[in-house]
Amino acid sequence: MRSLLLISKSVLIEGVRRKEIYAIVLFSLILIAGVMSVDFFEIRGLTKFYREMALAIMSIATAITVIVLSCRQLPREFEKKTIYPLMAKPISRMIFLSGKLLGVLLSAAFCFLLFMIVYVAGTLYLGGTIPWMHFAEYIYLQMLMMTVLSTLGFFLSLVMNLDAAVTLGVIFYFTSSVFTTGITFIYEFMGLGGKTVLVVLNYILPQLTLFDLSGKILHSVQWPPLGWTTMAALTLYALLFSGVYYLFAILAFRRREL
Amino acid sequence: MNSEKPVIDVDGLVVEYGRGKKKVRAVDDISFRVHQGECVGFIGANGAGKTTTIKVLMGFLFPRSGNVSVFGESAGTVDSRRRIGYLPEVALYYPFMKARELLELYGGLHGLSKTQLGEKIPRLLETLGLGGKSEILLKHFSKGMQQRLGIAQAIIAEPEALVFDELSSGLDPVGRHDLRSVLLELKRRGRTIFFSSHELTEVEALCDRVIMIHKGKIVTRATVQDLMKPLNVFEILFEIQDEKEMPGEVAKHSPVRENSLYRVLINDVEEYSRAVSALASSGARIKSTSSKSRSLEDYFIDLVEKREGKK
Repeated sequence: MRSLLLISKSVLIEGVRRKEIYAIVLFSLILIAGVMSVDFFEIRGLTKFYREMALAIMSIATAITVIVLSCRQLPREFEKKTIYPLMAKPISRMIFLSGKLLGVLLSAAFCFLLFMIVYVAGTLYLGGTIPWMHFAEYIYLQMLMMTVLSTLGFFLSLVMNLDAAVTLGVIFYFTSSVFTTGITFIYEFMGLGGKTVLVVLNYILPQLTLFDLSGKILHSVQWPPLGWTTMAALTLYALLFSGVYYLFAILAFRRREL
Repeated sequence: MNSEKPVIDVDGLVVEYGRGKKKVRAVDDISFRVHQGECVGFIGANGAGKTTTIKVLMGFLFPRSGNVSVFGESAGTVDSRRRIGYLPEVALYYPFMKARELLELYGGLHGLSKTQLGEKIPRLLETLGLGGKSEILLKHFSKGMQQRLGIAQAIIAEPEALVFDELSSGLDPVGRHDLRSVLLELKRRGRTIFFSSHELTEVEALCDRVIMIHKGKIVTRATVQDLMKPLNVFEILFEIQDEKEMPGEVAKHSPVRENSLYRVLINDVEEYSRAVSALASSGARIKSTSSKSRSLEDYFIDLVEKREGKK
């Protein structure tokens, strides 16, 4: 356990010292400033729309950060040869990979936390309210999504080069919601073979839109928070996909020559 | 032959890179053992198979065939690595970390407690000439400083065996001297040391035994003493009235006549002193004596050239 934490700490230190996370936070500050300026010009009808946009952009920025961080962990270790002294220590490859994964998730959490502080501060400054229960569920589900994306990132980085892994990870993230929504839309127009393929894809691809509760935050008056059974089901759903990607990553890394 | 269980046991190791027609055999059926407390130098030209062998020892590469064990455990297992300190050929460390943080990471992975690390790290950095550098980011470290830090991470947990790939690469003469002192101290404390190096003077100074590898095959294995013996040549030029009076201690080294003088070459220093005494008491006139020592490097170059068919 200590080995796991030590490796994850090194990933977190990298994330913090490389200042990439701060760049993202700076981006969010500009975003919040944009939201505030909307209020300043008293276009109050649009405020909600901009807040929705703000949440979406924060989610996207964090997701891209996670994809890039997870995809580059192992290729960078191989490229810089820093993996040798690390793997010469008495740790298994699984602990190494798990430590890296935990580090990426902690970096994502740190990034998300900074985003949320900025978002909450901006919302309260504008006189809005934060539905805390919805907000907590939103953050939790976003972190589940980040877990799915980071395990996918690790797997991709082990079977292709860094550029290809990042590109595919980002494409996967952006298309997954469109694709899964599209499946239901075109299903009726397909033949039997096409329908079978769509059903298979529907179950194989994680539906990332399930982890997005930004709409609930914005319309919390109309909708209550999710119940614990739904949250548990979503947790299992995320863990299933993360587990499969993680297993693939372990299998790819287990006998990889360094 | 040492009957104890070897620290490193390589038996019929074969390692290949690539597949199909592009397959290259980097290590070709080599076997050797390193015993507790020994210091063994692993010498070879670039591409000879040194790093490949060491990578198999550490579990970074998997052999095509053969068995490799460390402390009786299969090479590469967590247990086998628990008792080894390793310095890679190219030592690069996380540029975003400080020297202290890096050693805390590596020492922690070896199971050292925070208190132990707090005591060891400043002492180790001081010993390796990095005193006062613990809070500096590694991106500001020179190549030599990184190499010193690499040595620190390898020995921080005081492992029973040390495996160094290219021992003093990147170190200046002062760094080499410091490193030699550290290794001699570790050797004195009974640590097993196995290292590859291009610096054959280092091998001469530190090792008990040498294994030479060329094109994936072991070409020589000997103690440094045995290896060096024929490399030290003592020459005596002398004059003697009657060849029949040649002392046996000299005659057995087959002196060669050159005009009125005889020249004899002797490898062993004791035999050389006996020959000088015998010549003096036989009434021969000793014109000159000299010693010509060839280095291990000369020997190695000769060996490689012979193998390459250049000699």
